[in-house]
Amino acid sequence: MRLLDDPAGYWADLTTAEKGVLAVSLAFAAFLFVALLTGRLGASYFMFLVGLAGMYGLLSFGLNAQWGFTGLINFSVAAFFGVGAYGTALMTADSSPVAGGFSPVAGLATALVVALVLALLIGIPTLRLRADYLAIASLGLAEVVRLVVLNERQWTNGSAGLRGIPGFFDGWPVLGTFPEAMPGLRIEVIPGSPVLLETPFWQSALNVLLVVTFAAVAYLVLRRAHRSPWGRVLRTIRSDEDLARALGKNTYSFKMQSFVLGSLIMALAGVFYAHLNLYVGPGDLDPITTFYVWVAVILGGSGSNRGALFGGIVVVAIREGTRFMGDLPIAVDAAPLRLLLIGLLIVVVMRFRPQGILPPQRELIWPSAVEDERAPQRPESGVRERKDGDSDE
Amino acid sequence: MVLEYLANGLVFSSIIVLGSIGLSLVYSIADFANFAHGDTMTVGAYAALVTFGAVGGLGGAVLGLPYGFFLALLVGIAAAAVVAVATEKLVYESIDTDSIGLLITSIGIAFIYRAVIQIRFGADFTRFGVGTLRPIEWLIPYGIRVTQHDVAIVVSAVVLVTGLHVLLQYTDLGRKMRAMADNPDLARVSGIRTRRVTLWMWVIGAGLAGAGGVFLGLFNQLSPRMGFNLLLVIFAAVILGGIGSVYGAMLGGFLIGMINQMMPLVSDLTDALPLVPSVGIEYANAVAFLIMVAVLLVRPNGIAGEAT
Repeated sequence: MRLLDDPAGYWADLTTAEKGVLAVSLAFAAFLFVALLTGRLGASYFMFLVGLAGMYGLLSFGLNAQWGFTGLINFSVAAFFGVGAYGTALMTADSSPVAGGFSPVAGLATALVVALVLALLIGIPTLRLRADYLAIASLGLAEVVRLVVLNERQWTNGSAGLRGIPGFFDGWPVLGTFPEAMPGLRIEVIPGSPVLLETPFWQSALNVLLVVTFAAVAYLVLRRAHRSPWGRVLRTIRSDEDLARALGKNTYSFKMQSFVLGSLIMALAGVFYAHLNLYVGPGDLDPITTFYVWVAVILGGSGSNRGALFGGIVVVAIREGTRFMGDLPIAVDAAPLRLLLIGLLIVVVMRFRPQGILPPQRELIWPSAVEDERAPQRPESGVRERKDGDSDE
Repeated sequence: MVLEYLANGLVFSSIIVLGSIGLSLVYSIADFANFAHGDTMTVGAYAALVTFGAVGGLGGAVLGLPYGFFLALLVGIAAAAVVAVATEKLVYESIDTDSIGLLITSIGIAFIYRAVIQIRFGADFTRFGVGTLRPIEWLIPYGIRVTQHDVAIVVSAVVLVTGLHVLLQYTDLGRKMRAMADNPDLARVSGIRTRRVTLWMWVIGAGLAGAGGVFLGLFNQLSPRMGFNLLLVIFAAVILGGIGSVYGAMLGGFLIGMINQMMPLVSDLTDALPLVPSVGIEYANAVAFLIMVAVLLVRPNGIAGEAT
């Protein structure tokens, strides 16, 4: 790891934006750590936040595979998230009107299959549309999905939602009993404010393990895919679809593949959410989730997976941070304040930094291509001079 | 029964038409899908609510509505227009991006409008303090239950739409707007001050949206989400009519509003037909959205746009 061998060199190599993001992230982590030690932030709530951040990161990865890679304006994120959550909930929950009582792994498989079917149902008609029509049509179809979930009581329990969803690891050999088996720890760093690590904490730690696994798999797959020839076609479609078509690529098929890939990742986030929250309801399909994820992706930098993760963390900070605004002297409801911050964030990013905070740059270069000493690290004074030789045909 | 649905459809259509005209104008002249349009309607409705609360009835009444309400309506229209022009000046004009970037920005704008209203008025439903009326007596034998308020909504909408028609067809500004919608670059080299026309477009589009918002509040109730909830229905109307065509938007708004209120009939029809899943009235909006997607697929230029 370069970071461990040569931290100063690593720092010097970063772009200004990367330095800023790293500094802010470290400061934020330090702030949370202090809050944790002084007892202002419960340890299990902290782990819940980490899980939530992972979930938004996962959703952002999914949207990034659609919008960041291929330029598909998908406004039906909430539908895929909700379908993932309902897919696993209907298989596993006690109160499920359909199946119920299956293991969460079966729930996961069901959720992915349902999301695949939904992605094809939404994608087949809409992916041929112009970009702005795709936005409107996908938002409309997401609303249709929400209305179906809300009204088809015999399948989904309607507005009552589904209760009694087991944790993802319930019934597993070791992990199933892990939270109860772990001893309750009491760490007292600052006298008088102990940090308690008991069963709920270990329960949340398991959830974090689950979401980190999901996110790591998604990240690795997406990183590999983005740099592959397949990813290059997607990037070409994003910048000029006619060009990709002129090169003989079946752009509709490539768009469909990227749409399905992203939708499956969103459904994964939904599966995690169902087993984290242990309850799902039609409110989870509210279009606001879609826009939260959009904020995360455009803030982070469209096309950048690191950026998507960073954006996801910022969104969770806004979502959960506003809960504590009630303590401030100016009492403002959390819900509209959150909406206001999200709205301002969208406008400010689009106004001052439309490419996002961490736009994809070196993410797209194979490491072996820059490790070669002879290769220029950066174009010295622009690319034009080096092209001189072959430009006078 | 059918007459009753038709009457309600007419009232609801009036509101949708007022909203869809503005959305269509923005789509054709500023060239982006304005997701803040629904919340502009909310702004108009709440501005009227505040005004009506402040000025009261002002004596007499027309069609069951006190004079003060019409003053509040004008204030609502003005407020929506002012907010839209301010947004154009502060935000859209200074952003250098394509139509997709503007679309995303407009979502942020929509959230800001809604958040500010919700901070000031709370998330609860409210009503205009005009009291509910009994249905008009002499229409009840025909099976039509409409109040004088409903008639007022339709009449006001017709007046506004006629005014817009005159403006577009017979005035200089209207000709300039049609030229810009047709080809902005050509309009510009012909000496039309496109900036100024764009501002007028916002005044007219947002003003009509504000009126639509006030009537929506009168027809149902007011809540911070009222406009956003209606936004997709309005999009459906605009797309059905043909994006960029104001008269198409009127026709599309009329049809979508009618279909929305005729849902009980559609529901009976699907119950009666074998092999068709029964569709309840709770799917009124879903039907509108599916029509919208179908139109996008089959005839992206809508019923009034020229075929490609």
